[in-house]
Amino acid sequence: MLEIKDLHASVDGTPILKGISLTIGDGEVHAIMGPNGSGKSTLSNVLAGREDYEITKGSITYKGKDLTELSIEERASAGIFLAFQYPTEIPGVTTMTFLKTAVNAQRKARGEDELDAVKFLKLVREKAKELKVEEDMLKRPLNVGFSGGEKKRAETLQMSLLQPSLAVLDETDSGLDIDALKIVADGVNRLRAPDRSMIVITHYQRLLDYIVPDHVHVLAKGKIIRSGGKELAAELEASGYTDMTESAA
Amino acid sequence: MSDQALTYLDANSVAAEGPAWLDVRRKAARASFADAGFPHRRVEAWRYTDLSRLVAKTDWHPAVPHDGAVLVPEGRSNPFAGIASHKLVFVNGFFRQDLSELDDLPAGVEILPLEAALERGTKFESAFDANGPEAMAPIAALNTACARDGAVIRLSEGIQLEQPVQLIHYTPDGGATVAHTRNVIELAAGASMTLLEAQIGWGGAYLVDRVTNLNLGERASLTHVRLEDEDIDAVHLSTVLGDVGADASYIANTLAIGGRAGRLQSALHFAGEGAHAESNTAYLLRETQHLDSTIVVDHAVPGCTSGALAKGVLDDEATGVFQGKVIVAPHAQKSDAKQMSNALLLSRDAAMNAKPELEIYADDVQCAHGSTIGELDGDALFYLRSRGIEEQTARQMLISAFLGDVLEQISHEVARDALSERASQWFEADSEGEV
Repeated sequence: MLEIKDLHASVDGTPILKGISLTIGDGEVHAIMGPNGSGKSTLSNVLAGREDYEITKGSITYKGKDLTELSIEERASAGIFLAFQYPTEIPGVTTMTFLKTAVNAQRKARGEDELDAVKFLKLVREKAKELKVEEDMLKRPLNVGFSGGEKKRAETLQMSLLQPSLAVLDETDSGLDIDALKIVADGVNRLRAPDRSMIVITHYQRLLDYIVPDHVHVLAKGKIIRSGGKELAAELEASGYTDMTESAA
Repeated sequence: MSDQALTYLDANSVAAEGPAWLDVRRKAARASFADAGFPHRRVEAWRYTDLSRLVAKTDWHPAVPHDGAVLVPEGRSNPFAGIASHKLVFVNGFFRQDLSELDDLPAGVEILPLEAALERGTKFESAFDANGPEAMAPIAALNTACARDGAVIRLSEGIQLEQPVQLIHYTPDGGATVAHTRNVIELAAGASMTLLEAQIGWGGAYLVDRVTNLNLGERASLTHVRLEDEDIDAVHLSTVLGDVGADASYIANTLAIGGRAGRLQSALHFAGEGAHAESNTAYLLRETQHLDSTIVVDHAVPGCTSGALAKGVLDDEATGVFQGKVIVAPHAQKSDAKQMSNALLLSRDAAMNAKPELEIYADDVQCAHGSTIGELDGDALFYLRSRGIEEQTARQMLISAFLGDVLEQISHEVARDALSERASQWFEADSEGEV
């Protein structure tokens, strides 16, 4: 699915990622854990194609193609989905209008027929119900005035509508209480499939109790310093990042 | 005395041709404008829009009636065409009976061209005496001296006009022609109506100057929806001078997309307590277009509410101006006034000037004003694109959302959709230009 080789990236000339290599197979869920400032969010933004992030060295191959050649929207239509840590509030654009525009833009880019209003509404209602997203929320401007839980449920709803091949979940647990976390995690788990891979970025182990990864990587100072199975997350929870980053140094 | 003004008046003012009450006012207006001249940048209220310079070096002369078919270019048609209405159509500033629809007017409703109203002997002394505040007086005088035609709309007490009234002005012929139009709208107590107005031109270099005198009686209500879509070489002036009576309401929403330079100005004066007035403008400019949105609201009596909102999108080297002034008289307690200008600059070379002013002489009032100038939100753009929405579409969504505060507020649903569609066409023309 995804192969990252020796990736170096800078923001405003400051190097943040300093040689990341990572291979993600079809259907695998990889957790990337790390302290603040380790480059977790930079990695997710680089994968989504954010323009202020400059790749200075290395390669990203997605489904056998050079990902860096694709624009932001081309990556999305090719199946990459970034669930934002802080979803952007967009006043004046209703959630429903946005969802329909996004779904149909991707369908169009892939040469599929656009969904008409009736079919689309049916689809949204079905998915929204699973995530306990109220109809009223869909009529409100996108993310505007949404609670932390509502924002993350809206992100998960988008993911379930857009059916990505590679989902990058950036600190999905931040701002969630335990009930909201369970709803979101259930939504994510329903999307696990043999042809869908996920990168779950998180600071805390808590999320990984609900979204159980196949592999765990520890990111520190722009490099992956350890990789292992899901038990690595528990080890981190017990010892903290400091021990690990110091022993690596 | 201004040579520029005299030359202009000699070519374009209307000679004394009766009725007597009007001739007196035309003569006085001519003298007043000749004295003041075209406003220029050293006049504070015209600092950002130098009309004198804009009309200089052009041999302006009166437009002539355009007979026969009016071939409106594609994409420029009357946006309100599908709405069943009473309709007055003017071409080059002259009334066209054959294009208008004035049959079956209900009792108590007068809708007719100014010329016909004058022939009937109707007097509009107070309308022609109302020159508005200092910022607008020279234009009111110019218009009084030069106006040849216009629309007269009068509703008797309590008339709720079901169908909207359309005022459609086409300018197919340019060549340095001018058309001065005077509209007089009077709603007696408790009357209400919707006015749909479009000014559409493609004749090249021309000047249009439209002054509308409004008089709303107690509890009267006027909803005013406007499109200003002039030729890219045209200069346009649109002035609304309104008196709003007790518990009356005037709500104006305007989309302006055309013209080399334009000034949309409104002076709204509260004549009775409990009145409400708002004037909201959305404008989309590119190349070197210039648009000035100026409003003066006079809270002369207590307990009135007012709002002014200008939302501008400026691309290329376009320039926008917002001047908003709220005056609250010493005894006008419980006044509530809001003024806001938001500009979105799509280019580094675009510029916006915003000047809000408050003159408050009462102490128990709520007055708020503000101004923002910014670029499209990069985070929002990234968010939309990260969901597969193409950049151009994403930009358009964000700009439409920005304008929504003005266009989405239009209460007449079909008119609202028509103007939103017109704004969308503007984006499409833009994307074609960039390819």
